[in-house]
Amino acid sequence: MDWTPDILAELRALLGDDGVLDSGAARFAYEADALTLERGLPDVVVLPRSTDEVAALVRWAHASGVPVTPRGAGTGLAGGATPHRGGMLLVTSRMDQVLALDPERMFAWVQPGLVNARLSELAAPHGLHFAPDPSSQPVSTIGGNVAANAGGPHCLKHGVTANHVLGLVVVLHDGSVVTLGGEAPDAPDAELASVLAGSEGTLGILCEICVRLVPRPEAVHTMSVDFARIEDACRAVSAVIAAGIVPAAMELMDRRTMELVEAWLHLGLPLDAAAALIVEVDGPAVSLPAQVERITAITREHGARSVRVASDAAERAALWRGRKSSFGAYGRTGLAFTQMDGTVPRSRLAEVVSAVYALAEARGLAAGTLMHAGDGNLHPHILFDPDDEEQHRAALEVSQEILRVCIRLGGTISGEHGIGLEKIPMMGEIYAPADLETMSRLRRAFDPGGLLNPGKILPGGPPPTHARAAAQPGNTDARNDPEGPWK
Amino acid sequence: MSPEPAPPEPARYAIAGVEPSSVRRPATREEVAGILRDAARDGLTVVPWGGGVSLARGRAPRRYGLALDLTALDRVVEYSPEDMTVTAECGVTLGALREALAAHGQETALEGARAERATLGGLLAANASGPRRLRFGAPRDRILGAHFALADGTLARSGGRVVKNVAGYAIHRLLCGSRGGLGVLLEVSLKLAPAPARRVALLFGTGARALGDATRWAALPRLEPALLTIVGQGLAGTLPVASPTDPFTVIVGLEDDEPRVDQQISALERLLGEPDARLEDDSATALWQALADLEDRDGARLTFTSPANTPAALAPLIERPGVSAGALFHAAAGRLHIFPGATAARDLIEPLATGGFRLIEAVAGDGDPAGVASLGPLIAPQAAVLDLRARIRAALDPAGVMAYGPRWQRDDLPEGAPRACRT
Repeated sequence: MDWTPDILAELRALLGDDGVLDSGAARFAYEADALTLERGLPDVVVLPRSTDEVAALVRWAHASGVPVTPRGAGTGLAGGATPHRGGMLLVTSRMDQVLALDPERMFAWVQPGLVNARLSELAAPHGLHFAPDPSSQPVSTIGGNVAANAGGPHCLKHGVTANHVLGLVVVLHDGSVVTLGGEAPDAPDAELASVLAGSEGTLGILCEICVRLVPRPEAVHTMSVDFARIEDACRAVSAVIAAGIVPAAMELMDRRTMELVEAWLHLGLPLDAAAALIVEVDGPAVSLPAQVERITAITREHGARSVRVASDAAERAALWRGRKSSFGAYGRTGLAFTQMDGTVPRSRLAEVVSAVYALAEARGLAAGTLMHAGDGNLHPHILFDPDDEEQHRAALEVSQEILRVCIRLGGTISGEHGIGLEKIPMMGEIYAPADLETMSRLRRAFDPGGLLNPGKILPGGPPPTHARAAAQPGNTDARNDPEGPWK
Repeated sequence: MSPEPAPPEPARYAIAGVEPSSVRRPATREEVAGILRDAARDGLTVVPWGGGVSLARGRAPRRYGLALDLTALDRVVEYSPEDMTVTAECGVTLGALREALAAHGQETALEGARAERATLGGLLAANASGPRRLRFGAPRDRILGAHFALADGTLARSGGRVVKNVAGYAIHRLLCGSRGGLGVLLEVSLKLAPAPARRVALLFGTGARALGDATRWAALPRLEPALLTIVGQGLAGTLPVASPTDPFTVIVGLEDDEPRVDQQISALERLLGEPDARLEDDSATALWQALADLEDRDGARLTFTSPANTPAALAPLIERPGVSAGALFHAAAGRLHIFPGATAARDLIEPLATGGFRLIEAVAGDGDPAGVASLGPLIAPQAAVLDLRARIRAALDPAGVMAYGPRWQRDDLPEGAPRACRT
């Protein structure tokens, strides 16, 4: 594609001068999402404000054969918004309006660039909130949450993002606009909308999203439980579920994670413990004391050293601050790290966590982990020195081994971050060729020209640069590889 | 391999009076794949068949070659109560599945008519529902993954057995509601829920004026009942308990721990007064099933969806007592079923549309006294969606082996429906 001044002028006529960025500096700012191991310069960055503008852009890209990569806030951890084939990066940050909020019927229509936490703020005066709460919620967008089918600590009880999407207005590959689902639960074509959830921008561009709002819980109790052995903490989690209790959240931090958080925020975390669980129950005030009591008993039976119930909102906020700062705490180390998003059946958490430490130790690397333990979803981090190629390679290999353990235990390679570019090499380990070919067939039905976020999710395109770097150091040019089925 | 037992009579698999030319009842996935490959070779169209609950009342496909009876695939493959998930073959009946889970104090969120013979695959393919859809959401909100067969005999899988999974496309969610038009569901994994400590049904006989009084019901959704169903007088006789004299019975279902249910009951009594009847636990469960069974009735049925979440949404019907007598509204779950008898179905569409109700399904019944067939164009998807659906169908079933699935086949659309913009 030759980006002539005429073409750029055409785009500026559509979006205004500040809606089209093509300077080197601006393009550089958008070369990666939060997976910074993968980079790719977009040819142009566009910032539409409306569904009509998105439709016009996609129609134009379709006619011109230009790849379109959608991006929200860029907090994705799998490279899903990396424009590694160049082309047009469609950023939704100016599509940030609430189009309708119906407190009686408890839904809202929003634009995809609306920040997750902002919706709950706006719904709060009506006693409502948007339940999905990824740790990125102060900045991540609802469009990005839907595209990644984001989770968050509280999806244990309240469900993942897909469960909160009622309807979508989507721009399809050729610029046509469709409404899938709607305000009613299970409106027509809602099953198509449900496939868009988690499709990482490869099936269509989300332009308007109807989400379910739910009443804010009347009461919340947050408990901090610590253990001398992390395996005991994992078994306690499984035992709580087996007892028929579904807490709002059960989150685990291991000692390394607590040490990093403590060095930063000085929250008074129990650094002599192997693991700490945050267990939160929410709902009607009359129901909660009995739940707290049972959880206390079950965790003590499984070796809890101490169980503390936060006495007020400030203490509760401090507990969550520690947990939600965990990613950032790893970032502060100055060391590089890989970070996984595996999920196992919750009854197998103790096994997988033992494997994490053993695999890292065998390669002389440090590991730390945090978990959405109630969902069996764990985020191990393997630390390495970025200037040491050998360590880098070892960290990547350990990470893949950990995900293989997750697969062997009946789990999966991504619970909530998505496949993006990062996990494509693992897709062939979790799915058979016929499964992947079936997914390819579905993708071609949505995107016959292969221009929507090309090269993501499914194998067949060029491998991501870091995976190849592990095999062939030095080779980092993704764009010169033979094209797969996704151009 | 042992030979299949003699296949059952084709008459058992009739859809709207049309019988298949043959029936097969495979016992393994591989047999399903082989049957599909053979059917494709022989040019036979295939209808996957579970308990015969939903399809039997459907519209007959244009060509009905082979009924693929899946009831021999009925194993519970893996049930781990401590994970609160189950994996089962799709021929298992809802009743059998419920029994297995109840032994461990858990339950599936799936509901539907005729639990004793409705199969897991049939419930999902039909996107079946019952009154508690309000509490649990649609079947696609509970499915974690599936094994399925495509029309060419390809055996494939999407999703998995764990409760959080973003790895590839959720084809298992797409198959919920596909009515066997895209492939054959073979085995699925489901997210379960703990059975509540207590279930209570409160029933309120309600006159037309009270039903339409929006302020009377406004606080109900925030009480978070498990179900909120309004039944017209004409259907009352089919339920274990309902008001025989009032035009409507409002049923509020509560499922939670003891103190919460007590609290909800007090709050409801403050809002609505003493209930006319109250059912506890097993009696309440039996009422839930009777409400689900109501959807499997002879004659014409219109199904609407709506975001309305209180009984007052039925106000547009109140002026038409003949029609409202046959209304079954799962408020907040967004489903209104009307059994119009011989009332001209077309006349109901506009008043309901003003109340936010949108027609999503129309079953004609014998002789179509209500003129349901003429409503087809109202249900057809918008042209660009139809086009997308046609591409999805062509991608997964290029030879057109799967016979059924009205929302997927442009050939099956009634006359007058919008056609795709491109071919």
